[in-house]
Amino acid sequence: MSSSPSGGRSPVRHFRRRLGLVTAGAAIGALLLSACSNSSDGPSGSAGGADPDATITIGSLNEPTTLNTVKGGNTGHAQVLLRNVVEGLTVLTDDGKVEPLLAKSWDVSTDGTTYTFHLQSGVTFSDGTPLKAADVVTTLKRVTSDESTSARKKDLSIMKTIEAPDDNTVKIALSQRSQSFLFYLASTGAAVTKPGAGNPETTVVGTGPYTVGTWKQGDSINLVRNDKYWGDKAKNKEVVYRFFKDTTAENNALLAGQLDLVTQVTSPDVLAQFENRPEFTIVEGTSTTKELFNFNDSVAPFNNVDVRKAIRQATDRKALLTAVWAERGQILGSMVPPTDPWYEDLTSIDDHNVEGAKALLAKAGFAGGLSFTVDYVPSDSINIVAQGLKSQLAQAGINITLNPIDDATWTDKVYKNHNFQATIMTHVNQRDLVWYGNPDFYWQYKNPQVQEWVKQSETAATEAEQTELLKKVARQISEDAASDWLYLDPAIKIASSAVSGYQKNLTTDSFYVAPISKQR
Amino acid sequence: MGLTMLGYLLRRLGWLVGSLFLAGSAVFFLLRVLPGDPAVTLLAVGSPPEQIEAIRHQLGTDRPLLTQYGDWFGGLFTGNLGDSLFTRTPVLEQIVDRLPVTLPLALSAFVASILIAVPVGVFAALRRRNAAGVAVSGLAQLGIALPIFWVGIVVVWLVAVQWRWLPPGGFPRDGWQDPGAAVQSLVLPVVTLTIAQASLLVRYVRSATLDVLNQEYIRTARSLGYSLPRALWRHGLRNGAAPVVNVLGVLLAGSLLGTVVIESVFALPGLGSLLLTSVKSRDLPVVQGAVFLMTATVLLLGLAVDLIQRLIDPRLRGQA
Repeated sequence: MSSSPSGGRSPVRHFRRRLGLVTAGAAIGALLLSACSNSSDGPSGSAGGADPDATITIGSLNEPTTLNTVKGGNTGHAQVLLRNVVEGLTVLTDDGKVEPLLAKSWDVSTDGTTYTFHLQSGVTFSDGTPLKAADVVTTLKRVTSDESTSARKKDLSIMKTIEAPDDNTVKIALSQRSQSFLFYLASTGAAVTKPGAGNPETTVVGTGPYTVGTWKQGDSINLVRNDKYWGDKAKNKEVVYRFFKDTTAENNALLAGQLDLVTQVTSPDVLAQFENRPEFTIVEGTSTTKELFNFNDSVAPFNNVDVRKAIRQATDRKALLTAVWAERGQILGSMVPPTDPWYEDLTSIDDHNVEGAKALLAKAGFAGGLSFTVDYVPSDSINIVAQGLKSQLAQAGINITLNPIDDATWTDKVYKNHNFQATIMTHVNQRDLVWYGNPDFYWQYKNPQVQEWVKQSETAATEAEQTELLKKVARQISEDAASDWLYLDPAIKIASSAVSGYQKNLTTDSFYVAPISKQR
Repeated sequence: MGLTMLGYLLRRLGWLVGSLFLAGSAVFFLLRVLPGDPAVTLLAVGSPPEQIEAIRHQLGTDRPLLTQYGDWFGGLFTGNLGDSLFTRTPVLEQIVDRLPVTLPLALSAFVASILIAVPVGVFAALRRRNAAGVAVSGLAQLGIALPIFWVGIVVVWLVAVQWRWLPPGGFPRDGWQDPGAAVQSLVLPVVTLTIAQASLLVRYVRSATLDVLNQEYIRTARSLGYSLPRALWRHGLRNGAAPVVNVLGVLLAGSLLGTVVIESVFALPGLGSLLLTSVKSRDLPVVQGAVFLMTATVLLLGLAVDLIQRLIDPRLRGQA
């Protein structure tokens, strides 16, 4: 499930605010510790340039559940594997563009349905065997096989035939023209893995700059530099991802010098501990992580567009964003982050207007008020959003009941069974506006015009045409108030000042670690 | 006596097997009643719903519940707890991998708790009327009241983050290869768990001591010229030990279960964190296996406690 940031859900939170109460507990702890050796190394200083044999330790709250590239739809899976261990024919760059990777170039037939990919030369798998076009064929057939649960399985099922006319060429015929095809090929499921390399859930052999060392479930995975890599070799020798269940534990590890970097800060509260300290760097980039307040559009009262518009107008997105992220991130007017090609600023549609919301509710027959239940998976930031929404909507006479549930329950109840009224959910994917063209998606938004535009955008002759159509979609769903798009998360990282070269944004599924270097 | 003891032992073993069966069944069915389908947690956003059935089939969770139940219990007899749904590795292997972290943690905390709490508890009982005794009792009360995760956070913040004496969490990637590093990473978790457990034990030891102090045999011993500590040592210890042994059993079980919280606060790769990870992903065989083993351990501890009590206190042996 690539939908939630899944971090910090234990009751261990905001302890700094309670430190005033620390007396006896700490005293006992201190007394019991009589003789302990000093284990910290401290900052190593700035002398000496980048260390090519450095080990980079990265803290993350998202552990993969499997290493199988055609399974495991969570965020951590792609962050660890994609581009680091396995590579696709194409790659999605940090600024949202699709570029060649294992395919050096490609030709497209004039009707747009046949792609001929020319592979890079000299590529080998990390076990030393050369990459052949046949391996790419096997991989691409696997992503659409019965075994696959990849997020792109359905999208890539447009591949009618996949062939290897020679060792360096892959020829793919599509059942229809697809403007997104090259983008889909950049996903984890379409990344090339060596066939038959062992238990696919725990072993993966790819062509990337690293190989998977050991995976200690619930604890860590390490990636070791692949010295046979065909491209630019990694600037560090080893990367260790340490997985935390708890943000506080992660921050402590960073403060104590056990980590060089954390993949993402999930709440700005922790930043104060790191600000104005020369040994740490705080970097803010942009993301594709959208916070959404979704309605079940096909059930009453949300099947009434005025009700949805009223809720949007009752929402003060700026206040929510400020409450959660202080002066960071940005508000959204539709399902599109600025790094998607079809972004437009639509924040003026149904902007905050309590009186307007009341009028719309009255028009919809809810002059006396409206009550419904909101299911959500609690996390530091989502709790703030939930409480904020509750008080904001109350001002327009809308009374919501907050119903916190766990991840698996959310997936079952909301995502699969559509058994909900409204929900708060984080959506991390790029280019996911197209889900509003699927009437069966969990929010059950049904607008035939939008479905048609989404379909046409996919088979459009040019990228420009696709972009124009999707701009129309974005505006239409906003005017229909299909959901209440709250804001776009900032991508904030905290790193030791000794490391550099890490990616700033959170706009791709991968967390590319090869360019990271560490001062000696 | 030998026969009654044997009969008792057999009866208790029968009870143990019955309890294990009931516990195993409860764990199995309760997990299936919980909302959340493992197949669904594997799905990525945007995948069509018909894929769920396909995944269920791959995972084997589409088979009739009773078949799965039968398979699981059948496996238990051969020591097979099944395979993880996601990594397809044996559950038992995963659990055994975690023991080098969880066992030392739970056992050290248990031993440290006894070493601290027994003298402190006796002291609190003997000095119950003066300031030192009252202060000790008060501290123990505080230790019980403080949530264990909060104590953990405070200890980490102070000792690891501010003073940097010890690592704030984690365990060496190569396990016990470097025993020094492994021990260092266990010190704070053990201290935290010990604070919670010792506080609890102090109260029991204190009230057990007070009970004994009021017994006639102590008075008799005192009248014969024994000093109070000597009277306690000669007569009180054995009489007071039986209820304390009972508490120790509960304490050891508590140490084991306390690791679930501790391992999360200290990011330790033990059994408790395995359990948490697996609950989140609904990796049912792993959750089942871990909970079942923990239950079995607690039940075995209960049996051991009963047997030890009978050895200490002959009066119990006549009872069934």
